[in-house]
Amino acid sequence: MNKKTVNTREETCSCQSTGTDKIIPVVEEVVALTGKGKDRVIPILQEVQKRLSYIPSEALRHICKITDITPGQISGVSTFYSQFHHLPTGKHIIKVCSGTACHVKGSQLISDSFRRVLNIGDRKNTSPDNLFSIEEVACLGCCTLAPVVQIDDKTYGHVKPTQAGDILKDFLVSGGKVSRSEDKASLAGHDAEVRIGLGSCCIAGGSRNILSRLIEITDSFDLRIKIKPVGCVGVCNQTPLLEIVAGNGEHSRYTNVTQDQVEEILLRHIGPESLTKKIRYRINDLADTFVTDHLLESPVNIPADEREKYLNNFTRKQVRLATMHCGILTPDSVEEYLMLGGFDALKKTIQSGDPGQITDIIIKSDLRGRGGAGFPTGEKWRIVANEPGKLKYIVCNGDEGDPGAFMDRMLLESFPYRIIEGMLIAAYATGASEGIFYIRAEYPLAVERIGNALKHCYEKGFLGENILGSEFSFRAEIFEGAGAFVCGEETALITSLEGRRGTPHLRPPFPAVRGYRNRPTLVNNVETLAVVPWIINMGAEAFSRTGSEKSKGTKVFALAGKTARGGLIEVPMGITVREIIEDIGEGVAEGRKFKAVQIGGPSGGCIPASMADTPVDYEELNRMGAMMGSGGLVVLDNTDCMVDVAKYFLSFTHKQSCGKCTFCRVGTKHMLDILTRLSEGKADMKEIDELESLCHYVKNGSLCGLGKTAPNPVITGLKYFRKEYEAHASGICPAKKCRELIRYVITDKCTGCTKCSQECPVGAIGFRPYEKHEINQELCTKCDNCRIVCPENAVEIMDNNV
Amino acid sequence: MFKIRINNIEVDAEAGETILSVSQRAGVSIPTLCHMDGIEHYTSCMVCMVRDKASDSYLPSCTALVREGMDIDASGEDVVSARKKAVELLLSEHRAECEAPCRIVCPAGYDIPRLNRLLAAGEYIKAIELVMSELDAPEIRCLSCRGYCENACRRRKIDRQVSIRNIRIFIYHNLNYQGGPQKPVELTEFPDFKKIFSSRTGRIEEEELKEWLKECREAGKRFESVTDFISAGEEAKNCMHCDCRASDNCRLRELAQELGIRDRGNKVAGLPLTKKISQGTGLIFEHAKCIKCGLCVRICEDKKEEPSLCFINRGFVSLISEPLTAEFDDIPAAQAELCVNVCPTGALSFF
Repeated sequence: MNKKTVNTREETCSCQSTGTDKIIPVVEEVVALTGKGKDRVIPILQEVQKRLSYIPSEALRHICKITDITPGQISGVSTFYSQFHHLPTGKHIIKVCSGTACHVKGSQLISDSFRRVLNIGDRKNTSPDNLFSIEEVACLGCCTLAPVVQIDDKTYGHVKPTQAGDILKDFLVSGGKVSRSEDKASLAGHDAEVRIGLGSCCIAGGSRNILSRLIEITDSFDLRIKIKPVGCVGVCNQTPLLEIVAGNGEHSRYTNVTQDQVEEILLRHIGPESLTKKIRYRINDLADTFVTDHLLESPVNIPADEREKYLNNFTRKQVRLATMHCGILTPDSVEEYLMLGGFDALKKTIQSGDPGQITDIIIKSDLRGRGGAGFPTGEKWRIVANEPGKLKYIVCNGDEGDPGAFMDRMLLESFPYRIIEGMLIAAYATGASEGIFYIRAEYPLAVERIGNALKHCYEKGFLGENILGSEFSFRAEIFEGAGAFVCGEETALITSLEGRRGTPHLRPPFPAVRGYRNRPTLVNNVETLAVVPWIINMGAEAFSRTGSEKSKGTKVFALAGKTARGGLIEVPMGITVREIIEDIGEGVAEGRKFKAVQIGGPSGGCIPASMADTPVDYEELNRMGAMMGSGGLVVLDNTDCMVDVAKYFLSFTHKQSCGKCTFCRVGTKHMLDILTRLSEGKADMKEIDELESLCHYVKNGSLCGLGKTAPNPVITGLKYFRKEYEAHASGICPAKKCRELIRYVITDKCTGCTKCSQECPVGAIGFRPYEKHEINQELCTKCDNCRIVCPENAVEIMDNNV
Repeated sequence: MFKIRINNIEVDAEAGETILSVSQRAGVSIPTLCHMDGIEHYTSCMVCMVRDKASDSYLPSCTALVREGMDIDASGEDVVSARKKAVELLLSEHRAECEAPCRIVCPAGYDIPRLNRLLAAGEYIKAIELVMSELDAPEIRCLSCRGYCENACRRRKIDRQVSIRNIRIFIYHNLNYQGGPQKPVELTEFPDFKKIFSSRTGRIEEEELKEWLKECREAGKRFESVTDFISAGEEAKNCMHCDCRASDNCRLRELAQELGIRDRGNKVAGLPLTKKISQGTGLIFEHAKCIKCGLCVRICEDKKEEPSLCFINRGFVSLISEPLTAEFDDIPAAQAELCVNVCPTGALSFF
């Protein structure tokens, strides 16, 4: 195989030939596995797609034939959720993340360049040789590595538009394999402990490769160390992160570790055992000093305090409740969770023998729902507890779909036992006997870890009948979402659980009174459940001591965008936006200006830099027109255009609208049309007023939270950045971001190196060595490649109308 | 039992009732589109919106339940403007071309598409009745007219206009055919019908033409001069029926009229124009007229053996469609009947 060509003929897709003879047995097999009830439709479709790579109509017909599922239901459901494909896809699926952080870092350009390289037309999704399909996904939850591309299971971070070809080559050469060696991590007697983060961001940063290298070196030098995979460390944009705890208790941490550095770092701290290996190690070391000069720049030569300053500043202002033991705990190990005091809160709860008392503690702690709206958690519990009837449900809402947010993913991946414990406590307090973890299908690692944790909990007797020898019984299972943002809304989530189209309905009735299967159902966000054990252990007062007057405790945010540092942070409520951005995030990159921060994703708004002293709590953020949302925090600098950001969010909510009510379905479309026209310089001032009036109607008239909050990004944009909107109406994009309003120009700095000409995908720059190059504006697609590659910074972006 | 206020009047209400039903009892009328008594709520159109002054929130009255202390404003300025916006938004994704170009330009306002439809179906007596009832002068006005209708006829874009004048004049001369009209036709018609959502005259896209041609499914023969009822019927089969079959029976049009909306407003782009026509039952579905209220979906029980209409896709691109497992032709007549009856617009009708 010629490794240099991306489109390899030999690999032509085999799924095209899925014959009818294969479909029927697959459907029968799946149905035997999942059951044939009406509410099984989503799991059935997921399994069928997993096996056939798409859902042929033959399969739909056969599912209807052998289950209780009806034709109307299966048609509605399979087309509602974006996970399901009805046409054959390419052999490999390229997912280009279009989350907020990726968007502001140019994901559109990335998507364009993959399409170009693979020769995929505008209206198509699959390359002509059926090898690759491309799709844009709402958010892969790796915001700190933006822009991110995922091919099958392999994630590439910090992608540049010029790298599309190389990435595809790398993928084909590596066969798309991700080494999965964490199971091998030894736990025998050792001199030191080496911790390596294995959250999704870390893995995308290459930490699995680091782990295999660690194991390799340990084996070859016979080192007596314990390699410990831990959950998300929080410093997601500096991954992989390696921490070495020496026998004397000394901690040393390294960020951005590469495979080549592993050996050096390891051997610096730990010596090999046997004599022969010691000698080999010495020789290697000696040889290295002679042959290479890279050692001078190597991380081991940087003094520890300087190396770790970064991490220390990052963690200084954080308070860890939901993310307690972050970077220490091995996510999959129930033993370790127990050793660190896990399930103590559950024991305390059961020993109390009084569910009402537990609810009282939560009420007293003033904990409010972390899903965004901030409804008092204890009150919700009380409503469910007071409902009559024996059968009650708890749903852990892990359908985190906001672009730019990934804290639920990280909590599920890193602290599965803590969330299960939180759910168990809630179950005890409310009298629920069944629990469901509703987790996005885009979070396979979270599904895997919660699945493992549930298995261990059944084995250890934390789940099942008579938990810890008491009368209390509780069962829990996972339900994988199928790709619909609106299902984060609790009523839509429940309809989706019931195997229907995930459309919300008007409350009341609230799920707490009539929810899943018409029974009282407690729907709590992942983070809410994650802090429950802490509150029970430490007491309500300890919790309410932290935070602001009306918002108590801490909040986990996903800090991403244009800050120097990003990642998962847990901060006390009431901290100011400025503290988060400047102290924890270390401000924006040099030469740029902090412009605004987008809080709360598509339901939230942009808070301008001038108001960065706003304390972060539910009321204050609402007052500003933003919203806590689920906690995405994307920092914008002066190169970000507010119209573009608003357009981005509106196109997201518009695409994710369920289509039920008029204002959300059609209203957001009109808003998006106006914003698009603005970004193309085609709208006038009158349309800005019309946009404002539409915001008002959509906000008041929509049925559910998605529609009611959809105008927020525009409302805050108009409130704080109206001048920028008006500039667009006269054809100027002040941030020079909107493609239709800018042009690329090569200045006199050009030395004629021809790099731009070579990179230009459309041949808009003529090849003229040692001469000043020029861009043919007719051909230019504004892909930004020339500006990226120019070593002289000679490519500039100008206003189109000047 | 407790009291709530609706338009400043105290009204008795019972827990579990909707604001709409309490309002109706109190004699306050609230318009609805997607709601129908006896069918499960869907809360889609939002034209039944009211404002609860007590909680300062807008609520869809068809679904929102009464709560003690509510102070409902069901007819105030804000409420009406919100309702109006809802209808405007629906119209912006609605074809909203209730009348055909030929009828709009006709100085006498004759219902040309309806006559063509009757003739094409062989309903000659009914055709005579229609022409009779439209006669407002001693003789048919076509005799002295220059034939604006034929100029506006969209069929011209394909081959040649339908011979509207000759057809009408032929009928006028044969009013006594088989004993003549039995009973006069009662014309229910919108006042100012020409001004409310009439078709764009003269303009039609290539793609639209293709869909509209589906209306001429039995057409073939052309008769420029009409000499008998057979040739009149054959020629009428070439009419593409640019009007809407529900032009005088459309809740959306009525509501727009009530709320004083005359302009079709800015159209949103990207709506499919497709017409589906069932060969067996004659059921027609025109997506561009559907307001996605889901009444047709809710009125039919979703059964395995008998495919009924269902929702597919999500959001702005969601549509009413036959199930993916069946063909449009498979929808049985009984289901089709139910659907056409409940459809508040002309999206579902019979050929």
